Amino acid sequence: MGIFISRRILTAILCIFAALCLNFIIIHAAPGDPVRILVGQDNPSPEVIEALTIKYGLDQPQYVQFFRYVGNLLRGDMGTSIYTGEPVSLMILRRMGPTALLALTAAVLAMVIGTAFGIFSGRRVGSKVDSAIGSISYLFDAMPGFWLGLMLILIFASSLHILPTAGMVDVRADHEGFLRALDILRHMALPVTTLTLTLIPYYMRISRAAVVQALGEDFITTLRAAGMPESKIYRTYVFRNAILPTITVFGIQMAYLVTGSAIVEIVFSWPGMGSFVMTAISRRDYPLLMGIYFILSISVAVMMIAVDLLYSAMDPRIRHTGVKE
Amino acid sequence: MKRVAAVKKMRERLRHLPQLRIGGIMLAFLLFVVIFAPLLAPYDPYALSDNMVEAPNFRHPLGTDGLGRDVLSMLIYGARTSLMVGGAAALIAAVIGVFLGGVAGFFGKKIGSVIGEAINVFMMMPTFFLILIVVALFGSGITKVMLVIGLTTWVGNAKLMRAQAMSLRERVFVRAAESVGESKLSILFWHIIPNGIYPIVANTTMGVASAILTESSLAFLGLGDPNVISWGQIIQSGKSYLVDGWWICAFGGLSIIYTVITFYLLGDGLNIMLSPKLASVQNAGKRT
Amino acid sequence: MTLLSIRDLCVDYLAQDRTVRAVDRFSLDIPKGESFGIVGESGSGKSTLILALMGLLSKRKALVTGSALLDGADLIAMSEDERRAVRWKKMSIVFQNAMNSFSPVHRIGKMMQDIYFAHCPDSAKAERRTRMEELLGLVGLPPRVCDLYPHELSGGMMQRVNIALSLMFNPELLIMDEATTALDVVTQTQILKEIAQLEEKLDITRVMVTHDISVVASSCENVVVMYAGRCLEVGSVKTVLTKPAHPYTKGLIGGFPAEDEEGSDEEKRPLTSIPGTLPDLGAVPAGCIFEPRCDQSADACKSASVNLASLDDGRKVRCRRYGG
Repeated sequence: MGIFISRRILTAILCIFAALCLNFIIIHAAPGDPVRILVGQDNPSPEVIEALTIKYGLDQPQYVQFFRYVGNLLRGDMGTSIYTGEPVSLMILRRMGPTALLALTAAVLAMVIGTAFGIFSGRRVGSKVDSAIGSISYLFDAMPGFWLGLMLILIFASSLHILPTAGMVDVRADHEGFLRALDILRHMALPVTTLTLTLIPYYMRISRAAVVQALGEDFITTLRAAGMPESKIYRTYVFRNAILPTITVFGIQMAYLVTGSAIVEIVFSWPGMGSFVMTAISRRDYPLLMGIYFILSISVAVMMIAVDLLYSAMDPRIRHTGVKE
Repeated sequence: MKRVAAVKKMRERLRHLPQLRIGGIMLAFLLFVVIFAPLLAPYDPYALSDNMVEAPNFRHPLGTDGLGRDVLSMLIYGARTSLMVGGAAALIAAVIGVFLGGVAGFFGKKIGSVIGEAINVFMMMPTFFLILIVVALFGSGITKVMLVIGLTTWVGNAKLMRAQAMSLRERVFVRAAESVGESKLSILFWHIIPNGIYPIVANTTMGVASAILTESSLAFLGLGDPNVISWGQIIQSGKSYLVDGWWICAFGGLSIIYTVITFYLLGDGLNIMLSPKLASVQNAGKRT
Repeated sequence: MTLLSIRDLCVDYLAQDRTVRAVDRFSLDIPKGESFGIVGESGSGKSTLILALMGLLSKRKALVTGSALLDGADLIAMSEDERRAVRWKKMSIVFQNAMNSFSPVHRIGKMMQDIYFAHCPDSAKAERRTRMEELLGLVGLPPRVCDLYPHELSGGMMQRVNIALSLMFNPELLIMDEATTALDVVTQTQILKEIAQLEEKLDITRVMVTHDISVVASSCENVVVMYAGRCLEVGSVKTVLTKPAHPYTKGLIGGFPAEDEEGSDEEKRPLTSIPGTLPDLGAVPAGCIFEPRCDQSADACKSASVNLASLDDGRKVRCRRYGG
């Protein structure tokens, strides 16, 4: 157990380090002068060039630059945005909230609905209902999220005029308190639906496979032979054995949700990380981009470890031996 | 004789695999469109005209876009882009994955565990975002997009190949080749990879689908090659006309869905068809 | 007194384009208190027979006809609810795969108590716990096994847990489906010995399903030899195994080393095997089912079907040479 977790943490640290290196390499290997890239202008003034050259130590050898970059990060300094001059860390922090709200809601909804469908389908493996559900999930799996979002806008906002299409709050209405929460909920409806629909197939596939596998296990036969009611077998034994892989998927999904939701955020102009990334790209704000990438790498690594911890807490085989089968 | 029997068995399996059959038919249609694009397209997809945002009619079966281009013709040429990017990227990912995974699984402890750890590390990286940054920084030519997608999505293949190689290296014929004194690299290329590549074939087929999705996402975000028509780009350009010209976005998306489903079906079918072999390989590995 | 009376039991597996008869008109009387062995090679239908008796075959995949009366109640015809009540209280089973017959993510005691609870919903928690510890004690395991997970026990210990589980409600009939096959010989002998003591103490009738004829020889009173879903020879272990009548039984015994029992001073005979393989049950020949592999077959065996014939020493044989 201890070995298992410390190994995973080591991998995570390596991963973050690798992300760091990649960041560094990408910015230095990009075509053009790093200073120009960092400034984001084609013809910076000589003073600016000199200031930046000293600030980033660009006159130093590469390895010195690298250590300086790592050192800055360790101190929590991710640099300042070229465009606004604000610290990158602050800017990211502000954008995290809306993304978390959107992504978490969608992930939880998708997990609940997808797992429910998966278990339902797995119990009836091979039946007509099973293959019908399977085909529909195939369809949603193949759908690009941004396209689904556009189609939902077309139907619910443009044609039916029921739901808002963009943003998180109605700026003109300027609600307070409960009304504001309601307003956010209304704005969430379409992006959350889009994200949830694209996520459901994953959960469905995983939980269905897990149910089918669990149903084939010998202990299910034991329980049936021992006269345990079918409903109880499902509730306690199949479910418990089938839920484990779902949790793993949830963790992995969570880790990638920020990137996964980025495009949907852009479609619905949701003020989260996704649209932030696009702004950063269009403004060529490299310190900001690097900061975002760094934060994302860390959050993925942390999520992965959290998943492993949760998984090992739920599976006694790992808890005792530290070996994942 | 043996070969005839194997072919017959294959055909028998094909009969029981509707995924493969339907996927094959869908792929044939797609290839037909791609090859005969100039003959099939009613207009030059790049030609602008004054009939802007025209609803589907007899002259333009799927309407025109905001610049007066014929949507059907654009979709037909877009298929070329999608298939090219998808195929090339998946192939690059397959080659890298097979090689690294094979080395990691087959070579001794040191090299093996180092590459194995590298695979784990890469597994944790937010790939799409990496692609986004690289494309944004290095420019978005179609070749670059292919390369970047291929270079960042090999991890799944490497994991599969590594597991295959680890079980194959215990097999008698590999041991025999080793004891005869064949070099490690030649064993890797002549025994391990040919015998263990089946799951990667299926995974690569799926990889084509996800590469197509990634490419269309990039194009939708405006990071695609501006000089080449692609489905994601069509949807991006149609976004501003969503209300008055729903057909631009709608048909672009449907084309993507059609193609992605094609490769999903093929990948699924291949997986099932090749898995008995896979299963027996794994079992043999366990027993020794 | 007969405990279980099987009459003309047939099991047809429904494949995609054909049906396969895995058990064919099988009849057997199991007297109370006399342990019975069912032997046959793998694929002979013995496990299918047991699954049919327990009602564990999926209705979509298998069709079961005939009757099997346990204390007068027909196991085949009864409803799912009735069957659930019979299972474990009147008949229980120990499966081969001891390691996998408990959920890997639940404590052993939890699954045992859940099964107890399914039959006695009014029982108190403490009562269930005591009963479980009692059961484990019966098979020589300490109470703390309740709080362990299956992967923490050895195969032999897990099989003891399974036996303890099967004894939960003092069933009249205990079926052991290859229950000792996966164990090493020492553990196997030990467990068999303990079971023999337990069944005397608890008044249980045991049915051993196995391909290992030596297990039957050392632990059962009666034996039935199954082949291709049919009963070929049935009688007491003494008569059938020492003086086998059916060529198949002879072949089976020839495949195992002789037991060094008292009085057996015959020379060491070479081990033999039966040539050929099981027939395709989808296309059964008209005559004797064993004829293609039989070393004493005659033309008459190929055409006429053979019935079970009773011999003077109490056994029944399905062979033309004995008037079948």
